[in-house]
Order: sequence, then C-alpha cells, then structure tokens
Amino acid sequence: MSVAVAKAKSDQSDVYEREELLNGCQAVAHGVRLADVDVIAAYPIRPYTEVMDALSKLIADGQFDAEYIIADSEHSQFEIVKHASSVNARAFGGSSGTGWMYGMEALVVTATDRLPPLFVVGNRALDDPGAFGVEHNDAMAVRDMGWLLCWVTTPQEALEHVLIGYRIAEDKRVRMPMGLAMDGAFLTHSQHMVKVPSPEAAKKFLPQYDLAERRLHPDNPISVAPQINEDWVMELRRQNWEAAKRARGVIKEAYKEFNDVFGERYSAPYYFEEFMTDDAEVVLIGIGTVAAPARTAVRRLREKGQKVGYVNLRWFRPFPTVELRECLSRFKAVGVVDRDFAHGSPDNGGILMHEIRSCLYPAKQRPAIVNFMGGLGGRDLSIADAQKMYDITQQAAKKDSMDGFVTWIGLRE
Amino acid sequence: MNAMVETDIRVRGAVETRSERPKLSVKDFKGRVDPDWCPGCGDFGVLAALKQAIADLGLHPHEVMTISGIGCSSNLPGYINAYGMHTLHGRALAVATGAQLANHELKIIATGGDGDGFGIGGNHFLHTMRRNVDLTYIVMDNQIYGLTTGQVSPTSIKGMQTKSTPFGSVENPINPIPLAIAAGATYVARGFTGQQKHLVELIKGGIQHKGFALIDVFSPCVTYNHENSHEFFKQRTQKLEDIGHDPTSFQAAMEKAYMWGDVIPIGLFWKRSDLPALDELEPVLAEGGSLAHRPLGVSPQAAKALISELM
Repeated sequence: MSVAVAKAKSDQSDVYEREELLNGCQAVAHGVRLADVDVIAAYPIRPYTEVMDALSKLIADGQFDAEYIIADSEHSQFEIVKHASSVNARAFGGSSGTGWMYGMEALVVTATDRLPPLFVVGNRALDDPGAFGVEHNDAMAVRDMGWLLCWVTTPQEALEHVLIGYRIAEDKRVRMPMGLAMDGAFLTHSQHMVKVPSPEAAKKFLPQYDLAERRLHPDNPISVAPQINEDWVMELRRQNWEAAKRARGVIKEAYKEFNDVFGERYSAPYYFEEFMTDDAEVVLIGIGTVAAPARTAVRRLREKGQKVGYVNLRWFRPFPTVELRECLSRFKAVGVVDRDFAHGSPDNGGILMHEIRSCLYPAKQRPAIVNFMGGLGGRDLSIADAQKMYDITQQAAKKDSMDGFVTWIGLRE
Repeated sequence: MNAMVETDIRVRGAVETRSERPKLSVKDFKGRVDPDWCPGCGDFGVLAALKQAIADLGLHPHEVMTISGIGCSSNLPGYINAYGMHTLHGRALAVATGAQLANHELKIIATGGDGDGFGIGGNHFLHTMRRNVDLTYIVMDNQIYGLTTGQVSPTSIKGMQTKSTPFGSVENPINPIPLAIAAGATYVARGFTGQQKHLVELIKGGIQHKGFALIDVFSPCVTYNHENSHEFFKQRTQKLEDIGHDPTSFQAAMEKAYMWGDVIPIGLFWKRSDLPALDELEPVLAEGGSLAHRPLGVSPQAAKALISELM
C-alpha cells in the first residue's frame, strides 16, 4: 500500500503542534496561517466561504496576522491577490463554481504575469441551474492557462498542500499561480483529525517568497504587463511553457523536502498515488474524494480475489505524462472516472479521460480504456457505484469495441 | 419560420384581446414553491407587498416579469406567479434591460439584495439608472450577505461586526438613495418591510412610473444582522410625507437622502417625469408594438431592395 501515511521519525515528533478535528476549509485556513501569508482577499461563495470565515476567525482570535481585504466581487478579489503577489507579498484567494469563472479574466493574467499566489477552489457545479455540489469543471477552466493545479483528498493533505503549493509556485524556476482544488462539501465540509504542523516546521520547509528582480517596488521601478502586441507574445508563451515543464521537477523536489521535515508523508512519484495496484489487472483512476468509495470497493473486490486497484491523480497541471504512462501501461484496462464534463468532445468523454488517453497514445503497451461520468453536481458516488465501475472496466479488458465507451453512473433514466 | 412566428402572434393576440379581464387577487400571484427564507425574514414582507401591488394595479401574471441575481432575496422570482428569470450574481439589471427592450409592454421588476445590486452588480446599477431603463428595481436591503451566512456587504454600516469583519467594518457603506438620484434614476424611494401598506404604495408608484424606479427596502435579516433589526428600523423610520418633503426638489431629495440617525426617512425621495426612458429613445420601438410581438428578421422584399441599393 503506497498511500501516504505519516511515519514521523523520532526526531521529527515536534514538527506537529497538535491534532484537532478540522474540515477541509479550516485545514486550508491553518495552511494559510502556517505559510505566513501576507495578503488575503475574500469574497463569499459556498463552499469556499468557510475558508474565508475560518481565516477571519484565526485573525480575530489573534492566532494570525495578515491583511484581510473583502472585495466587492471575485473579479476584484482575484485582482487584489494578483497585485499583492506582484509587490512581493505572499497572497491568497479562493472561490467556487461560477464565482471562480466570473474572475477568470484576472486568473488568466495572473498566470501570464507569472505570479505565484495560491488560490483554493472548493469545487462546485457551474450554474445554471443553481447547484452547490461538486463538479470539477470550475477549476479545470484554468488547465490550459499556465496554472499549477492539484487536487487533495483529505483535510490533512489540504493543509499540507498550501505549504507545498507555495513552495512550488514561488520557485524561481516556476513562478506560476497555484490552484489547490478540493471537492465541495465532501472535502470542504467534512471533518477529519488533522495534525497541525508547528510554525517552526512550516518555516523550515517553506522559504521566504522572493520575486527578486520582478518585484514591483519603488526601489525596483518596473512596468508590469506592458502592451507588446505580436512582437513578443509567442516568446512569452514559450517561457510559460518552459516553466510548466520545469515545474514537474520542482514538484518532486518539494515533496522530498517536505518529507525531510515532516517524515515520509508522501511517496514517489508524488503526482499520483496508487492503491493496491502491485498485481492489479484493472484499475480505476479518478480525482478527489471519489478515492474513498473506490478504495473501499477495491478492498471488497480483493476479498473476492479480483485483481483491482485504484490510482488517485493528485496533480493535473503539469500533467505527470511520463510517470502516469509508465504506471497505467502495466494494466489490462483502465476506467477513468470524470467528475466533469466535456460535451461534444472526442467520443463524448470527460476531460480526465482525454488527458489520460492522450498520455497513453505513445505507450508501447496500451491498456483498454473506458470512461465514467459520475457524481456530477454533487451526486453521491457510492461504494456500489465504484464496484459497478470495476465490473464494467473488467469487461472492457476482454472486448475490442468502443460500444458503451462512456457510462453515466447513477443517472436517473 | 415565418409561419411559426405568425402562429405565435395569433396565440399572443388571443390573450391580449380576451374580452373579459378578471381582476386577480394576491392569491393568484402565489408561486408554486414556498420561500426558503428564514422565519421572520423581511423578504416575506417584500414578496407580499409586491404581489399586493401587482394585484392592485390589475396586472396579470403574463404581463409581469421578475428578474433577479443571486442571494436569498434573489430567489423571489421562484415564489411568484409571473414570468421569472433567476440570473447570475449581480446581473439582474443587465438581463432586465434586455427583457425590457425586447418587450417594452411587459412590467419588468428586478429584485435582489444589497450585495448583488450594489456590490458585484454595482456597475450595472449605475448604467441602468443612467439610461433610465423603464423598470422597477426592488432591493431587499439587509446590509449583510445572508445566503453565505453573514459576511460584510456594501451597505453594512461602518463598524459593523460580521464574520468577515471581526473587528468591525472599516469601510463607508454605499447609500443607494443619493447615488441613484445622482446617477439618473427618475423614481427613487425607500421602504421598510415593517410598513406594508406604505411599501405597497411605493411599489405601485414605481411600476406605474415610466423610467427607472429604485425602491430600496429595509428588509431585516433576522439571522445574521442583529444591529439593523426590525426593531431598529421601527424606532427610527419616519415617512417623508409626515416629515414634509417635495420629491420634485433635487436639493430637498438629496438632503433627505443623507439623513441617517435617530430619524431615517422612508418614502418617495425623488421623482421626475420629464426624461424619456431608454425604450422611448429607440425609433424602432416607437411604432409596431414590442419586438417580442413582431416577426423578426428582414423580409425577402426588404432584403432585395437593400441589396439592389447597395450593390
């Protein structure tokens, strides 16, 4: 079992200050506190709202000191975060669903300006009609914009990935905005026991933010984002492209450094984690909290002697192409669970399936692939649903046809 | 395509020319869904007053369209029997402008809250007033973000403690009344849900007014705003007609608009009827009725004439 488990070495026992019951939002707030963020801009929209409420409470309780600015909309909120980041302040924002989309213009320029603030996305379905439940299309909207984008599955990981996220985003070789996504309700509002690191340990891991020569400051008079028209855009796109490529290496470094301070919390290849895959013939791969029913289904099916496993994809941007290709080539069939939609796309599949199928195309040994659309708008994905998905994927391993390539799970018909 | 349009017109015509026109009561405007507002929410009073005003004016559900953004109060179009559209956060007035120009025979009523209208939708608020679009905008002003459980809003008073301002808000609130007068609204009023009959009359006046009518309504949030409660406004609000006021005087309107303390005026602050509404400035709408009731597009004859003129 390669699931990340805290195995703090004896000399690392003091890296955690206490253990307490926190939901995903509260855990993120503690991550922001421990990252010693300078500027927070906030605008309420559920399920993200509880992150800003928790931060406000930390400040009010005297546990944390930061500039906390209430914006009049997400668009202003994200602009405040972006500009704070450009003056060398560690900055934090966040949103959900349509709010995230409303601020999209600001999210795009944050990436093209190569600034490294961190935003949390409490995944929420896009209106209309009004809905609060999880879907991944909101965060996925920045996937091609030069963002770092990862998903966490527990409040512990949520807290830790605030630190890890800033570490990667602010690295001189990267300098890209960091999107930390977590499933609305299922993670944002479910409580777990969370080990809260000590400020000293957090400081030991996360260096000071230093934008260096690109810092906007009276002592360093520069212009941010001048009009350059067709003269230089292509070169800038290339720089962004190179940064996203370099980020792959920086991500690995960051996890290793994190393990050095906090014990063996995460195992290679870091971008994703495998569960009971060693001798598996068939796996499901998904993003976010679907990992919970999927892992339980794996355990139950293993008891019946079925060789199944689960792959939880953590990093979506940059996409772990080589590592995931190597991993998935080992199996006979892969069922991709999409909690998102890409209407009218090739074979009418989901976003994750397309990425994975594209990643597997050059593989010498390609597994059969099937796609599941499930849990849209916050609909529950149960253990029984996961077992059904394993069943369909096992059958896919045996047939050579695209019939029934996409299955909608839990759909009322 | 043309045949479809004509059929549509005949159906609409049948409704319009119905010889008997029964007067409807408040009950006829009850929506199919019950409000999900907290017990005691001021918004119940606004909904009741709006239904009463529409019934009093003898309007029918198909002649009224309610349009809202996002928020507790923005759920109102679901609770009233009329055309309704629940749009994006802050966008009610943009959609309402489109609806008004598409069918200027409809009574357009935009509804929403202070965060929706004065915060995220603040830009539309200014420009819709500037254009004097013929619609009634009812803001259920509770001075808090209620649906997201109690964060500071653009009308939260200075010093107010909320979840997002634990040390008290340091910002000056928006006062929508002088803002609306200055921006070009032609009917500017303030109501209070604790004064139902008065509120009904303000809404009726707004609907009958040709041009942009703002009715900012103190609609207390019983759950998240304990400062600006029903009791707070009950003690302080006084009707402008009792104080003595001339709503055609710009100076008097502005003076009263800035009163906030032991006496907070409610009523009609400002009204002018000498400015055309946006639809009256549009020559296409001047004759032939609303766009919604006309076949759209260019006839083959007109297209041919145009092409021969240009080619």
